[in-house]
Amino acid sequence: MATPTNYRSAEWQGNTVEVPRQRAHSHALEPARDDEWGAPARKRRRRRKKPQWLIAWLCLAPALVLFTYFKFLPMLQAARMSVYEVRPYLGDRYVGLGNYHDVTTNPYFTKAIWQTVLLAVGTTLGSILLGFVLALLTEGQARHLWLVRTAAFLPVVTTMAVVAEVWRVMYYPSRGGVLNTILGWVGVGPEPFLVSEHQALLSVILVGVWRGAPYDMMIFLAGLATVDRNLYESAAVDGASRFRRFYHVTLPALRPVGTILFTLAALRGLRSFTEVFLLTNGAPNGSTEVFMTLLYKLGLEQGQLGVAAAAAMVLFLATVAVTVSVNVWRRRVVRK
Amino acid sequence: MRQRLAAYGCAAFLMAALASGCSSTSVLNVRQNPDAVLQVWIREPPGSAAAATATRMVKDFSRRTGVRAKLVALYDDFETKLQQQAAYRQLPDIVINDTAQLGYMQSQGWLQEVDRTTFPGGDRLYDRAWTAAQASNGRYYAVPFSAQTFAVFVRADWRARLHLPPPRTWDDLARMAVAFTKNDPDGDGRPDTYGLVIPGTTKRGYMSWYFSTYLYADGADYFSRSPDGRWLPAVNDARWVDSVSWLKQIFCQDKAVNPDAINIDTPRAHDTFEKGIGGLYLTGPYMLPRFVKSMGSNKIEIYPVPVGPDGSQPGALAEGENVYLTQGSPNRAGQRRFAEYVVSPEAQTLGMDGDNAGPIVRLPISKDVDMAAVRRDPRWKTFQQWYDQAGVYVTSVPNWTPFRQLSADTLNAIMADCGSDVKADLDKLASEFAAELKRQHVLATG
Repeated sequence: MATPTNYRSAEWQGNTVEVPRQRAHSHALEPARDDEWGAPARKRRRRRKKPQWLIAWLCLAPALVLFTYFKFLPMLQAARMSVYEVRPYLGDRYVGLGNYHDVTTNPYFTKAIWQTVLLAVGTTLGSILLGFVLALLTEGQARHLWLVRTAAFLPVVTTMAVVAEVWRVMYYPSRGGVLNTILGWVGVGPEPFLVSEHQALLSVILVGVWRGAPYDMMIFLAGLATVDRNLYESAAVDGASRFRRFYHVTLPALRPVGTILFTLAALRGLRSFTEVFLLTNGAPNGSTEVFMTLLYKLGLEQGQLGVAAAAAMVLFLATVAVTVSVNVWRRRVVRK
Repeated sequence: MRQRLAAYGCAAFLMAALASGCSSTSVLNVRQNPDAVLQVWIREPPGSAAAATATRMVKDFSRRTGVRAKLVALYDDFETKLQQQAAYRQLPDIVINDTAQLGYMQSQGWLQEVDRTTFPGGDRLYDRAWTAAQASNGRYYAVPFSAQTFAVFVRADWRARLHLPPPRTWDDLARMAVAFTKNDPDGDGRPDTYGLVIPGTTKRGYMSWYFSTYLYADGADYFSRSPDGRWLPAVNDARWVDSVSWLKQIFCQDKAVNPDAINIDTPRAHDTFEKGIGGLYLTGPYMLPRFVKSMGSNKIEIYPVPVGPDGSQPGALAEGENVYLTQGSPNRAGQRRFAEYVVSPEAQTLGMDGDNAGPIVRLPISKDVDMAAVRRDPRWKTFQQWYDQAGVYVTSVPNWTPFRQLSADTLNAIMADCGSDVKADLDKLASEFAAELKRQHVLATG
């Protein structure tokens, strides 16, 4: 008999019934027994529960203390700063929602949001697609594949500063540039890449994809390894073509991996900073300005820490919204 | 229930901790300790020859005065790092930084006031240098340390090969830029050279900083002063439109500028000139020793930016370095002794570093120092003369930094988009300037 994951079958009073997993543990199904000292089972459970509760909190404590000091307190501090004009040497001034007004009416704000979304979507989809293709190409046990996988993974472990520097050199916008030389062989270019407001964002996305794809490849490889080989064999016996096997066996098996990758990458995309900061710093003409570079400029270049804090709170809310909606969406998909 | 209690407890703890973090703002009442080590920050690349000169100077100061001091050289994002220190009220005791940053630092309450009249040796410093230490309220918040202006470094060998005359007009400059781009000045048979080398990034307002010398040479300025001592934006007048259009022509039609100009800052621009990618580089005298050493002395000529077509008298950006004494130091006596030391002829001479590669004093601000006695290279003299004759310091609005950033953003955008409408973009910049002047409470009415 097929056993759905959320239920387990129990033989009870001679009938096969499906009961929720939690209820299978409940005492309704088994009579309460007194222990050898005669104490009722319920009391004993409570006595045992207390130290467990304490141990759990004790185990969590070191992490909680660190998180409180390095994450929660700064977050609360930022929330407070977002309603003040922050002047460490002159005394802060309460401005209510003024900072939020300033940041949302900043001429670059809307532009930065759209460009952040574009960058996030472009980098995420590009990395997932390329990562998936790479994973399919390099899946297997052979020694040379191991070598190729390692080589392909190198961009992930390279510092972003180095990656950005290398790509800047490659993007050099004249005939002598590395990429332009290659384009020249096929009669294209020279292209301006990072110095053109129409190409800069795309060029930054490309760097993100180049760097992000191998990471996704690894996760996909792990996902591919968990696909039950029997399913392939059964499908092959049933006469499924290579494409149909891929479509009906591989893809569905990788769906959870894809969802996780997508969520992580989308959140990372919203917070992308280093690559933009190092490659273009928002230029030319604000065409690569993203949320984080704007926030950085407001806070640390223009010294408006309060306005930057307000921007950070807006970003925080956006991140929460994305996370919650992805989770809700995932739950719905699972329920279906 | 207990878990909920624990959660409430945690929240209460967090709120208490937060409240304690928002305590008093008084940074003036710091307990004084004459033995506290002075932190001296200078905006020079760590490990550079200039940083080495600064270290020597700080050591000399300690030896002479007995006050302990430690030098920190930082270059990239210097102001950003200061801002981070300020957020924790941990500014270094001494900051040696651009004169143009005075308003930015003073308006945030970081700086101690300096009384020019009672400052020991203050009368032996040039008036002009003192002007650059004065805030818009007329008071002084720094002690001058070094001065400089900017001129064009020209590849002498390229100019000779192409038989071009020395640049006397803007047309000469433009023609030379085009010739350097099209006529293969290095004779290698490849079209891999350009005319102007421009650090045109918006970062730190570089594009505006670079172009200001041309603007001043064309008689343009960022503001016009009204009779009541306030300001109006002047960034969309005819002289601005003409100068910006002139540069845009070289960028877009002639394409006689280093191709990555839009995105690069000064360290990259130095490399671009040094590697022979471009042949006309407007920069400061502090680059002279490095270029002489790396490229050869006979390859470099210095010419001031000629008077522009709309200009009537010479003009070039004048700036320099000030020594800023910050608030909240545990060793205020040490700070003052450092300020007195750096203007002394000994410190100024040491900072000039002769003809070597690490001058932190570019042009001395002390009347008691004769530059010609310290430096033999006559090209330094060109900078000194041009500073005396043409130097224009930026307007002392309360905080100059946002204006430099706004104008850099606009100029960068105009050069990045060859389809841009110069006049319309400058009109927009003027309205942004007006809004910022208003924010700083110095916008003239009418």
